[in-house]
Amino acid sequence: TAAAPRPWRLFGAMCLLRPPRITQPLEKEEEEIAALMGQIELEKSHYSDHEIRKLEEEEQLRRRKESMYDDDEAPGKTVIMAQDLEDKWEQKLLQFEAAPRITDADKSNNRTSLDRKLDSNLMLLVKQKIGNQELWLLPQVEWQPGETLRSTAERAMAMFLGDHIQAKILGNAPYGIYKYKFPRAIRTEDNVGAKVFFFKAFLQSSDLSQAELKEDYLWVAKDELGDYLKSEYLKKVNRFLLD
Amino acid sequence: DALVGCHRHYKSRPTHGIGRFKYLLPKEAPKKKKDKVQMREINVGTEHEYGDVNIQMTSYDMCLVEHFAQYVHKLCNRLSIRVTESYAMPTKTNEVLFLEERGSKMQLDAVLTTHQRVVQISGLSSTFAPILLEIIQSSQPEGVHLLVKEHTEADFKSRLKSRPELEELLAQMN
Repeated sequence: TAAAPRPWRLFGAMCLLRPPRITQPLEKEEEEIAALMGQIELEKSHYSDHEIRKLEEEEQLRRRKESMYDDDEAPGKTVIMAQDLEDKWEQKLLQFEAAPRITDADKSNNRTSLDRKLDSNLMLLVKQKIGNQELWLLPQVEWQPGETLRSTAERAMAMFLGDHIQAKILGNAPYGIYKYKFPRAIRTEDNVGAKVFFFKAFLQSSDLSQAELKEDYLWVAKDELGDYLKSEYLKKVNRFLLD
Repeated sequence: DALVGCHRHYKSRPTHGIGRFKYLLPKEAPKKKKDKVQMREINVGTEHEYGDVNIQMTSYDMCLVEHFAQYVHKLCNRLSIRVTESYAMPTKTNEVLFLEERGSKMQLDAVLTTHQRVVQISGLSSTFAPILLEIIQSSQPEGVHLLVKEHTEADFKSRLKSRPELEELLAQMN
Protein backbone atom coordinates (compact mmCIF):
# COMPACT_ATOMS: atom_id res chain seq x y z
CA THR A 1 0.00 0.00 0.00
CA ALA A 2 1.34 3.37 -0.90
CA ALA A 3 1.89 5.79 1.94
CA ALA A 4 -0.54 8.68 2.08
CA PRO A 5 1.06 11.81 0.62
CA ARG A 6 2.11 13.94 3.56
CA PRO A 7 1.01 17.55 3.51
CA TRP A 8 4.33 18.76 4.84
CA ARG A 9 7.32 19.49 2.71
CA LEU A 10 10.63 18.56 4.25
CA PHE A 11 13.83 20.55 4.16
CA GLY A 12 17.26 19.77 5.50
CA ALA A 13 19.28 22.73 6.74
CA MET A 14 22.92 22.82 7.70
CA CYS A 15 24.33 24.90 10.49
CA LEU A 16 28.01 25.14 9.66
CA LEU A 17 30.06 26.14 12.68
CA ARG A 18 33.59 27.39 12.72
CA PRO A 19 34.92 26.34 16.12
CA PRO A 20 36.78 29.03 18.08
CA ARG A 21 40.52 29.16 17.70
CA ILE A 22 41.49 30.92 20.91
CA THR A 23 40.03 30.72 24.38
CA GLN A 24 37.84 33.50 25.60
CA PRO A 25 39.39 36.06 27.93
CA LEU A 26 38.92 35.38 31.62
CA GLU A 27 36.38 37.24 33.68
CA LYS A 28 37.50 39.63 36.39
CA GLU A 29 36.85 37.15 39.21
CA GLU A 30 38.52 34.35 37.30
CA GLU A 31 41.62 36.47 36.80
CA GLU A 32 41.76 37.40 40.47
CA ILE A 33 41.45 33.79 41.55
CA ALA A 34 44.05 32.68 39.01
CA ALA A 35 46.48 35.29 40.36
CA LEU A 36 45.79 34.24 43.93
CA MET A 37 46.29 30.56 43.18
CA GLY A 38 49.50 31.36 41.34
CA GLN A 39 50.76 33.24 44.34
CA ILE A 40 49.87 30.41 46.73
CA GLU A 41 51.57 27.85 44.53
CA LEU A 42 54.67 29.97 44.21
CA GLU A 43 54.96 30.32 47.96
CA LYS A 44 54.38 26.64 48.58
CA SER A 45 56.71 25.36 45.89
CA HIS A 46 60.29 24.16 46.26
CA TYR A 47 63.30 25.24 44.26
CA SER A 48 63.89 23.49 40.96
CA ASP A 49 67.30 22.18 39.81
CA HIS A 50 67.97 25.22 37.71
CA GLU A 51 67.20 27.60 40.56
CA ILE A 52 69.38 25.69 43.01
CA ARG A 53 72.24 25.78 40.54
CA LYS A 54 71.78 29.51 40.06
CA LEU A 55 71.83 30.14 43.79
CA GLU A 56 74.98 28.07 44.27
CA GLU A 57 76.77 29.91 41.52
CA GLU A 58 75.79 33.26 42.96
CA GLU A 59 77.17 32.10 46.29
CA GLN A 60 80.44 31.10 44.65
CA LEU A 61 80.77 34.43 42.89
CA ARG A 62 80.16 36.29 46.08
CA ARG A 63 82.71 34.22 47.95
CA ARG A 64 85.31 34.76 45.27
CA LYS A 65 84.84 38.49 45.32
CA GLU A 66 85.03 38.71 49.09
CA SER A 67 87.91 36.45 49.87
CA MET A 68 89.76 36.51 46.53
CA TYR A 69 91.03 32.99 46.65
CA ASP A 70 92.33 31.07 43.65
CA ASP A 71 90.08 29.51 41.13
CA ASP A 72 91.27 26.05 41.92
CA GLU A 73 87.79 24.72 42.04
CA ALA A 74 87.13 25.22 38.40
CA PRO A 75 89.89 23.81 36.25
CA GLY A 76 87.80 21.63 34.00
CA LYS A 77 84.35 23.12 34.33
CA THR A 78 82.88 24.77 31.31
CA VAL A 79 81.86 28.23 32.24
CA ILE A 80 78.25 28.34 31.28
CA MET A 81 76.50 29.75 34.27
CA ALA A 82 72.85 29.48 35.00
CA GLN A 83 72.53 33.23 34.71
CA ASP A 84 73.87 33.12 31.16
CA LEU A 85 71.37 30.48 30.24
CA GLU A 86 68.60 32.61 31.63
CA ASP A 87 69.74 35.62 29.65
CA LYS A 88 69.85 33.53 26.50
CA TRP A 89 66.32 32.34 27.10
CA GLU A 90 65.11 35.86 27.79
CA GLN A 91 66.46 37.01 24.48
CA LYS A 92 64.82 34.16 22.67
CA LEU A 93 61.51 35.03 24.29
CA LEU A 94 61.81 38.63 23.21
CA GLN A 95 62.29 37.53 19.65
CA PHE A 96 59.03 35.59 19.70
CA GLU A 97 55.94 37.52 18.63
CA ALA A 98 52.52 36.13 19.26
CA ALA A 99 49.83 36.52 16.62
CA PRO A 100 47.27 39.20 17.40
CA ARG A 101 44.05 38.14 19.05
CA ILE A 102 41.99 40.86 17.48
CA THR A 103 42.42 40.59 13.77
CA ASP A 104 41.82 43.10 11.03
CA ALA A 105 38.46 41.61 10.27
CA ASP A 106 37.42 42.36 13.82
CA LYS A 107 38.36 45.98 13.54
CA SER A 108 36.57 46.46 10.27
CA ASN A 109 33.64 44.26 11.30
CA ASN A 110 33.82 42.44 8.03
CA ARG A 111 31.16 39.84 8.49
CA THR A 112 32.01 37.81 5.43
CA SER A 113 35.47 36.80 6.59
CA LEU A 114 36.31 33.87 8.79
CA ASP A 115 38.97 35.66 10.77
CA ARG A 116 36.59 37.64 12.84
CA LYS A 117 35.93 36.78 16.50
CA LEU A 118 38.50 34.06 16.91
CA ASP A 119 37.17 33.13 20.31
CA SER A 120 33.57 32.24 19.49
CA ASN A 121 31.62 30.03 17.14
CA LEU A 122 30.79 31.50 13.76
CA MET A 123 27.83 30.28 11.73
CA LEU A 124 27.11 30.44 8.03
CA LEU A 125 24.02 32.38 6.98
CA VAL A 126 22.85 32.56 3.40
CA LYS A 127 20.26 34.69 1.70
CA GLN A 128 17.66 32.45 0.14
CA LYS A 129 14.47 33.01 -1.74
CA ILE A 130 11.47 31.40 -0.07
CA GLY A 131 8.18 31.93 -1.83
CA ASN A 132 8.60 35.47 -2.98
CA GLN A 133 10.71 36.73 -0.08
CA GLU A 134 14.44 36.97 0.19
CA LEU A 135 15.39 35.83 3.67
CA TRP A 136 18.55 35.21 5.63
CA LEU A 137 18.57 31.55 6.57
CA LEU A 138 20.79 28.66 7.34
CA PRO A 139 21.44 26.99 4.00
CA GLN A 140 18.60 24.61 3.29
CA VAL A 141 17.53 22.37 0.50
CA GLU A 142 14.41 20.33 -0.11
CA TRP A 143 14.41 16.69 0.87
CA GLN A 144 14.06 14.18 -1.90
CA PRO A 145 12.51 10.79 -1.18
CA GLY A 146 15.08 8.06 -0.90
CA GLU A 147 17.83 9.98 0.80
CA THR A 148 18.48 10.49 4.49
CA LEU A 149 17.96 13.91 6.03
CA ARG A 150 21.62 14.08 6.85
CA SER A 151 22.58 13.73 3.20
CA THR A 152 20.06 16.46 2.40
CA ALA A 153 21.87 18.76 4.76
CA GLU A 154 25.21 17.78 3.25
CA ARG A 155 23.82 18.54 -0.17
CA ALA A 156 22.71 21.96 1.04
CA MET A 157 26.20 22.66 2.28
CA ALA A 158 27.78 21.42 -0.94
CA MET A 159 25.42 23.54 -2.98
CA PHE A 160 26.47 26.71 -1.29
CA LEU A 161 30.09 26.06 -0.60
CA GLY A 162 31.23 23.56 -3.18
CA ASP A 163 32.25 19.97 -2.74
CA HIS A 164 35.59 20.23 -1.05
CA ILE A 165 34.72 21.39 2.39
CA GLN A 166 36.13 19.61 5.36
CA ALA A 167 33.18 19.73 7.63
CA LYS A 168 32.46 17.03 10.13
CA ILE A 169 28.96 16.03 11.09
CA LEU A 170 28.95 14.23 14.37
CA GLY A 171 25.82 12.15 14.28
CA ASN A 172 22.85 11.18 12.17
CA ALA A 173 20.24 12.78 14.38
CA PRO A 174 18.97 16.31 13.67
CA TYR A 175 19.49 19.00 16.24
CA GLY A 176 16.32 20.97 15.87
CA ILE A 177 13.21 21.44 13.83
CA TYR A 178 11.31 24.44 12.65
CA LYS A 179 7.93 24.05 11.10
CA TYR A 180 5.79 26.70 9.58
CA LYS A 181 2.61 26.78 7.62
CA PHE A 182 2.39 28.48 4.29
CA PRO A 183 0.21 31.56 4.03
CA ARG A 184 -3.31 30.73 3.12
CA ALA A 185 -2.92 31.89 -0.44
CA ILE A 186 -0.51 29.08 -1.34
CA ARG A 187 -1.88 26.46 0.94
CA THR A 188 -3.41 23.46 -0.75
CA GLU A 189 -4.58 20.08 0.44
CA ASP A 190 -1.24 18.49 -0.06
CA ASN A 191 0.95 21.41 0.84
CA VAL A 192 0.09 22.68 4.25
CA GLY A 193 3.50 23.80 5.32
CA ALA A 194 7.13 22.93 5.62
CA LYS A 195 9.37 21.41 8.24
CA VAL A 196 13.03 22.29 8.38
CA PHE A 197 15.42 19.91 10.15
CA PHE A 198 18.68 21.37 11.35
CA PHE A 199 22.00 19.59 11.38
CA LYS A 200 25.28 20.78 12.79
CA ALA A 201 28.68 20.48 11.24
CA PHE A 202 32.10 21.66 12.35
CA LEU A 203 34.56 23.19 9.95
CA GLN A 204 37.86 21.36 10.23
CA SER A 205 39.98 23.78 8.26
CA SER A 206 39.37 27.45 7.77
CA ASP A 207 40.57 27.39 4.21
CA LEU A 208 37.66 28.32 2.01
CA SER A 209 39.57 29.48 -1.02
CA GLN A 210 37.97 26.85 -3.21
CA ALA A 211 34.49 27.64 -2.11
CA GLU A 212 32.80 30.27 -4.17
CA LEU A 213 29.48 31.46 -2.99
CA LYS A 214 27.13 32.84 -5.54
CA GLU A 215 24.69 34.59 -3.27
CA ASP A 216 25.26 36.68 -0.19
CA TYR A 217 26.69 34.90 2.75
CA LEU A 218 27.72 35.88 6.23
CA TRP A 219 29.64 34.35 9.06
CA VAL A 220 27.84 35.41 12.16
CA ALA A 221 28.23 34.78 15.88
CA LYS A 222 25.39 33.68 18.13
CA ASP A 223 24.53 37.10 19.55
CA GLU A 224 24.43 38.67 16.12
CA LEU A 225 21.96 36.12 14.81
CA GLY A 226 19.10 38.25 16.02
CA ASP A 227 19.98 40.92 13.49
CA TYR A 228 19.29 38.61 10.59
CA LEU A 229 16.88 35.86 11.46
CA LYS A 230 13.18 36.11 12.09
CA SER A 231 12.06 35.70 15.70
CA GLU A 232 10.31 32.33 15.43
CA TYR A 233 13.14 30.86 13.40
CA LEU A 234 15.65 32.38 15.76
CA LYS A 235 13.96 30.83 18.80
CA LYS A 236 14.18 27.36 17.35
CA VAL A 237 17.74 27.81 16.20
CA ASN A 238 18.91 29.19 19.53
CA ARG A 239 17.71 26.06 21.26
CA PHE A 240 20.52 23.95 19.89
CA LEU A 241 23.35 26.45 19.85
CA LEU A 242 25.95 26.29 22.57
CA ASP A 243 27.65 29.50 23.40
CA ASP B 1 38.37 8.34 87.46
CA ALA B 2 36.67 9.95 84.48
CA LEU B 3 39.94 10.60 82.64
CA VAL B 4 40.99 7.00 82.53
CA GLY B 5 37.87 5.32 81.26
CA CYS B 6 38.04 2.19 79.28
CA HIS B 7 35.37 2.16 76.60
CA ARG B 8 36.65 -0.98 74.95
CA HIS B 9 33.86 -3.35 74.39
CA TYR B 10 35.47 -6.18 76.25
CA LYS B 11 34.22 -9.73 75.95
CA SER B 12 32.32 -9.69 79.21
CA ARG B 13 30.39 -6.56 78.34
CA PRO B 14 27.03 -6.93 76.71
CA THR B 15 28.11 -4.63 73.87
CA HIS B 16 30.90 -6.93 72.80
CA GLY B 17 30.98 -7.34 68.99
CA ILE B 18 28.95 -4.24 68.36
CA GLY B 19 29.97 -2.84 64.97
CA ARG B 20 30.79 -6.20 63.32
CA PHE B 21 29.40 -6.24 59.80
CA LYS B 22 31.80 -8.23 57.62
CA TYR B 23 29.92 -11.42 58.37
CA LEU B 24 26.81 -9.90 56.83
CA LEU B 25 28.36 -9.13 53.45
CA PRO B 26 28.34 -11.72 50.66
CA LYS B 27 31.57 -13.65 50.26
CA GLU B 28 33.95 -12.15 47.67
CA ALA B 29 35.85 -14.46 45.34
CA PRO B 30 39.63 -14.16 45.84
CA LYS B 31 41.10 -11.67 43.33
CA LYS B 32 43.29 -13.15 40.62
CA LYS B 33 46.35 -11.25 39.55
CA LYS B 34 45.81 -11.44 35.79
CA ASP B 35 42.80 -9.42 34.73
CA LYS B 36 42.01 -10.35 31.17
CA VAL B 37 38.42 -9.16 31.27
CA GLN B 38 37.22 -7.60 28.04
CA MET B 39 33.81 -6.08 27.57
CA ARG B 40 32.31 -5.92 24.13
CA GLU B 41 29.00 -4.44 23.12
CA ILE B 42 27.04 -4.33 19.92
CA ASN B 43 27.75 -1.15 18.08
CA VAL B 44 25.67 0.39 15.32
CA GLY B 45 22.64 -1.17 13.82
CA THR B 46 19.39 -1.60 15.58
CA GLU B 47 20.93 -0.98 18.96
CA HIS B 48 21.78 2.73 18.46
CA GLU B 49 24.35 2.47 21.18
CA TYR B 50 28.07 2.72 21.15
CA GLY B 51 30.20 0.14 22.91
CA ASP B 52 33.25 1.16 24.90
CA VAL B 53 34.44 4.57 23.80
CA ASN B 54 37.84 5.96 24.77
CA ILE B 55 38.35 9.67 25.21
CA GLN B 56 42.08 10.28 25.08
CA MET B 57 43.59 13.58 26.11
CA THR B 58 47.25 14.37 25.43
CA SER B 59 49.25 17.40 26.31
CA TYR B 60 52.64 18.63 27.46
CA ASP B 61 51.14 20.23 30.54
CA MET B 62 50.27 17.70 33.21
CA CYS B 63 48.05 19.89 35.40
CA LEU B 64 45.89 20.92 32.44
CA VAL B 65 45.43 17.39 31.23
CA GLU B 66 44.60 16.06 34.67
CA HIS B 67 42.11 18.78 35.38
CA PHE B 68 40.49 18.29 32.01
CA ALA B 69 40.23 14.56 32.60
CA GLN B 70 38.61 15.21 35.95
CA TYR B 71 36.20 17.63 34.33
CA VAL B 72 35.21 15.09 31.68
CA HIS B 73 34.74 12.40 34.31
CA LYS B 74 32.52 14.62 36.45
CA LEU B 75 30.57 15.71 33.39
CA CYS B 76 29.80 12.12 32.50
CA ASN B 77 28.77 11.41 36.09
CA ARG B 78 26.40 14.33 36.01
CA LEU B 79 24.94 13.26 32.67
CA SER B 80 24.56 9.70 34.02
CA ILE B 81 26.85 8.14 31.48
CA ARG B 82 28.60 5.06 32.80
CA VAL B 83 32.35 5.58 33.13
CA THR B 84 34.00 2.19 33.19
CA GLU B 85 37.61 3.24 33.57
CA SER B 86 39.67 6.36 33.89
CA TYR B 87 43.40 5.76 33.65
CA ALA B 88 46.63 7.38 32.59
CA MET B 89 49.02 6.13 29.96
CA PRO B 90 52.77 6.26 30.76
CA THR B 91 54.42 9.59 30.03
CA LYS B 92 56.73 9.93 27.06
CA THR B 93 59.80 12.10 27.43
CA ASN B 94 61.19 13.90 24.42
CA GLU B 95 64.50 15.71 24.44
CA VAL B 96 64.67 18.66 22.12
CA LEU B 97 68.25 19.07 20.94
CA PHE B 98 69.23 22.40 19.52
CA LEU B 99 71.78 22.30 16.76
CA GLU B 100 73.96 25.39 16.79
CA GLU B 101 74.36 27.14 13.50
CA ARG B 102 78.12 27.08 13.28
CA GLY B 103 79.06 23.90 15.03
CA SER B 104 78.46 20.23 15.04
CA LYS B 105 77.58 19.92 18.70
CA MET B 106 73.99 19.32 19.64
CA GLN B 107 73.02 21.21 22.69
CA LEU B 108 70.29 20.17 24.98
CA ASP B 109 67.56 22.73 24.66
CA ALA B 110 64.51 21.37 26.41
CA VAL B 111 62.99 18.25 27.85
CA LEU B 112 59.34 17.78 26.97
CA THR B 113 57.08 15.27 28.69
CA THR B 114 53.88 14.18 26.99
CA HIS B 115 51.07 13.10 29.30
CA GLN B 116 48.01 11.15 28.30
CA ARG B 117 44.80 10.51 30.21
CA VAL B 118 42.04 8.19 29.08
CA VAL B 119 38.41 8.17 30.19
CA GLN B 120 36.48 5.11 29.09
CA ILE B 121 32.74 5.37 28.65
CA SER B 122 30.11 2.85 27.81
CA GLY B 123 26.42 3.05 27.11
CA LEU B 124 26.36 6.12 24.92
CA SER B 125 23.22 6.45 22.87
CA SER B 126 23.69 7.65 19.33
CA THR B 127 21.30 10.55 19.82
CA PHE B 128 23.27 11.89 22.73
CA ALA B 129 26.79 11.20 21.50
CA PRO B 130 27.08 14.28 19.20
CA ILE B 131 25.93 16.58 21.99
CA LEU B 132 28.48 15.18 24.41
CA LEU B 133 31.20 15.43 21.80
CA GLU B 134 30.32 19.02 21.13
CA ILE B 135 30.41 19.93 24.80
CA ILE B 136 33.81 18.33 25.27
CA GLN B 137 35.11 19.89 22.07
CA SER B 138 34.02 23.38 23.02
CA SER B 139 35.41 23.14 26.54
CA GLN B 140 38.83 21.93 25.44
CA PRO B 141 41.64 23.92 27.00
CA GLU B 142 44.49 25.30 24.92
CA GLY B 143 47.26 22.87 24.22
CA VAL B 144 45.28 19.69 24.83
CA HIS B 145 44.70 17.27 21.98
CA LEU B 146 41.48 15.35 22.10
CA LEU B 147 40.89 11.96 20.54
CA VAL B 148 37.67 9.99 20.79
CA LYS B 149 37.72 6.45 19.50
CA GLU B 150 36.26 3.06 20.15
CA HIS B 151 38.01 0.72 22.48
CA THR B 152 39.90 -2.07 20.79
CA GLU B 153 42.12 -4.98 21.76
CA ALA B 154 45.16 -2.99 20.74
CA ASP B 155 44.24 -0.22 23.17
CA PHE B 156 43.83 -2.75 25.93
CA LYS B 157 47.13 -4.42 25.11
CA SER B 158 49.00 -1.11 25.00
CA ARG B 159 48.56 -0.74 28.72
CA LEU B 160 50.28 -4.05 29.45
CA LYS B 161 54.02 -4.42 29.55
CA SER B 162 55.66 -6.97 27.32
CA ARG B 163 57.83 -9.63 28.90
CA PRO B 164 60.75 -10.32 26.58
CA GLU B 165 62.09 -13.33 28.54
CA LEU B 166 58.72 -15.05 28.43
CA GLU B 167 58.44 -14.39 24.72
CA GLU B 168 61.92 -15.74 24.13
CA LEU B 169 61.17 -18.91 26.03
CA LEU B 170 57.92 -19.36 24.14
CA ALA B 171 59.73 -18.87 20.85
CA GLN B 172 62.31 -21.44 21.90
CA MET B 173 59.62 -23.88 22.81
CA ASN B 174 57.93 -23.46 19.45
